[in-house]
Parts: sequence; structure tokens; C-alpha cells
Amino acid sequence: MTDTEGYVDQMVAGIAEPQPMYKALRESTPVFRSPQAVVLSRLADIEMALKRTELFSSNMDAVDLGNVRPLIPLQIDPPEHAKYRRILDPLFTPREMARREPRVTELVNEMIDAFADRGECDFHEEFAVPLPCTVFLQLLGLPLEDLDQFLVWKDGVIRPEGAEGLARRHEDSADVAQQIYDYFERAIDDHIASPRDDVLSAMIAARIEGQPLSREELLDICFLFLIAGLDTVTDSLDCFFVYLARHPDHRHQLLAQPDILPSAIEELLRWETPVPGVARVAMADVEVGGCPIAKGERVSPLLGAANTDPAEFPDPDLVDFARNPNRHRAFGGGPHRCLGSHLARMELRVALREFHRRIPDYEIKPGTRLTYTAALRSVESLPLVFPVP
Amino acid sequence: MTRVAVDADRCTGHGRCYTLAPGIFDADEVGHCLVLAEEVAGELEAQAHTAAQNCPEGAITLT
Repeated sequence: MTDTEGYVDQMVAGIAEPQPMYKALRESTPVFRSPQAVVLSRLADIEMALKRTELFSSNMDAVDLGNVRPLIPLQIDPPEHAKYRRILDPLFTPREMARREPRVTELVNEMIDAFADRGECDFHEEFAVPLPCTVFLQLLGLPLEDLDQFLVWKDGVIRPEGAEGLARRHEDSADVAQQIYDYFERAIDDHIASPRDDVLSAMIAARIEGQPLSREELLDICFLFLIAGLDTVTDSLDCFFVYLARHPDHRHQLLAQPDILPSAIEELLRWETPVPGVARVAMADVEVGGCPIAKGERVSPLLGAANTDPAEFPDPDLVDFARNPNRHRAFGGGPHRCLGSHLARMELRVALREFHRRIPDYEIKPGTRLTYTAALRSVESLPLVFPVP
Repeated sequence: MTRVAVDADRCTGHGRCYTLAPGIFDADEVGHCLVLAEEVAGELEAQAHTAAQNCPEGAITLT
């Protein structure tokens, strides 16, 4: 339990290629006590922790994002958790997302229009950031003019400036959190006054055993949507396009075999795992892989390590767009399985399909040094160059 | 002939089954798995195996 060299905590520093670190952890210290949390890197342990929410809770003690009440449904565990998922899951099914796909396709093409003739773009700034945020505003029925404000808030909560370690995290995020609560208070008032075909109206209209969600419950759901639904798709787009820019053979396969796209997205989710880990807290003294974990300790199941564990994935370092089976855990698993997974898949599918239809060949601008962000794997800037059509 | 069963307590709505094997599975109103064909043969058997092997929760059993 001493070989900690090579371990870099992604909560502290972003990593361009984390897979060797995952491997080193799995092989040397599969249950690793870092300053922030006990890190699990074997798929079997991770799966157990994700399923056994009574032992490894996802409650407010697992992570502090400045919120004053539990985020719903992430920070509520079963059995209470189920009542919220019964309301929210129907709003995010693959079928419901397919209904939104034509509008997202238009949006993606409008974004590509803005830079296609230029022969270069900052993919992160001009595509990966605004796409999921605009889709989110449309989905919730919020004014598109609020885009820039949302981006400031999202970063304020996820990447608070001047955050010196996690100890000060609450103070750093709390001011931003209050502004987010205030904004959604007004948005909820507006939707109560004039309901329409969007997710916020559907949540207001929903009933649990005859009872509507309270104002606070609605706010706690909206807050979670903002931090869970925006950054994660940005991260995925950044990771995927860096990979595809650097692996022309894989990119060409998408062009030659368009039907492989859904499976390619699953494989890129596995390999890149844009959300590399999740946060839990031990509810009792437990032992995992011979390592004692005390009640109250934070635990981090490292999804990226699960997704490259040879116990599940033969040849885990091979990126094979036709990989089958591919039981990756990029969206987690167990009761807290990512609510937005089908929204993310739809956005990624449309983005990859339309971008490659319009701009099949591109590369990272020569001389670029990519800087990955901590915690969630985006890049600070992704300059791409391509022939003008 | 293969019998298809889903453990509803394990299913959390990843949706892999009805995406990969739409002839056998469908989504219920919350996006969880619904078995359309409880007994399958021939080409559908291969689909059933693909779905079972790709379920992240291991909720599908084939007998």
C-alpha cells in the first residue's frame, strides 16, 4: 500500500491521458487513501460501492458545491430517491430525447456555420461549451439570452476561482449558489404563470401520490441540472474531438461506416470517461479489498479506472469502435445512474454526425499545448484547423 | 429457444437493451426495460445475448 507514485488526483490537476494512472492504481493500490478521499479503482469494488448506497451514500457529505440543501436526486439515497426518479426519468428517456433531436441538429449546424468558412475554430469555446448550455436552456424553457450568465454560474460552482483546496470550497461556491437559487425562483414563477412544453413545466405539473413538488424541491432539482448537465457534455465533446483529431483512422471509420457511430460513442465514453470519478461517503466502518474505511470518510469510485479494468474489458487499451460487449460505467451505475445519459448520448451523436458531415478532416493547430481541467475532463482551449469547404 | 427475463430491481434505465435489441426489449414510461418477447429463437437469440452482455447492471438473464 505504499506505491503511490504516478497517482495524480484529478480533483487537483487535470490529466491528458489518465489511463496509465488508472492502471498503476489498480495494480498497486486498488483502494488508495488520497488526501481528498479513498479512491477505488477496481471495477468490482466500484460496482459494489455504486450499488450499495446504504454503505456508500451519495448524500451532501460526499461533495460540497455550495448548495444549502441536498441536490435532488443526486444527494438523496434510496428509498426516498426513487420517488424523484419516477418523476424525472420519464422526462429524459431516449424517446423523449429523440423528440428534441431535430432542434439540436439545427442548433449544431448553426454553430458550425459560424466557423466553417474560417478554416479554424476554438472547438471548446465555440462548440463544446455553448452547445450543451443552449440545449439545456431550450430543454428547461429558459431565455437563450441567459447563456453567458449560466456559463459564469456553472464555472463558479464547479471551478470556483481562488479555491485553495476543498476546505474553502463551500464559501467559494455559496455566493454563486445563492444567485442560482434566486434565478430559478423567478424561472419557476414564470413557468407557473405560463406553462409550456418543457422540462420545468413538466416538473411543476408532476404529482407524487397526488402532491406536487415543493418550491424547494424544484429548486434543488434545477440546481443539480445546471451543474450536472452543462459541463459534462462539454467535457465529453472536448475529450472526443481531441481523440478523433489525433486518430485519423478512427475518424475515417466514422465517415466510412456511419452506422458505427452509436457504438463509437460508447467506446469513446469508455476510453475517455469524461467524468472520471464520482463522490460517496462511507455510512459505517467498512472494509474494501482488505483496506478499512471509517464511517464518514469520503470515497471516490474512479469510473475511468473501472472502464479500463481488464477484468471486464479484454485489451482495455485498445480503442475499438465495434467493441462488444461494452458494459462501461461512464454514466455510473446503480440507483444514481446518470439521469441525463440519454440526453448526453443524443447531443454527442448529433454533434459527431453533423460536425464530420460538414468538416470531415481537421487537426489540432500545430504548436498547441492542451491543458486539461481538474475534476471534469475538459480542455481550456481546443484550436482546430481544417480545409475550408 | 431462449427465455428472456429482466430483474426489475436491478434495472436502472441505462437503455442499452432496447437500443441494441429493439426486437426483444422496449422502454416503459420511465425508460426502464420492458420485455416484449419472453421466448426468442434464431436471429433474435443473438440479439438477446448482445443485450444481456451489454447491460451495465447485469439485470438480464437468459435461460
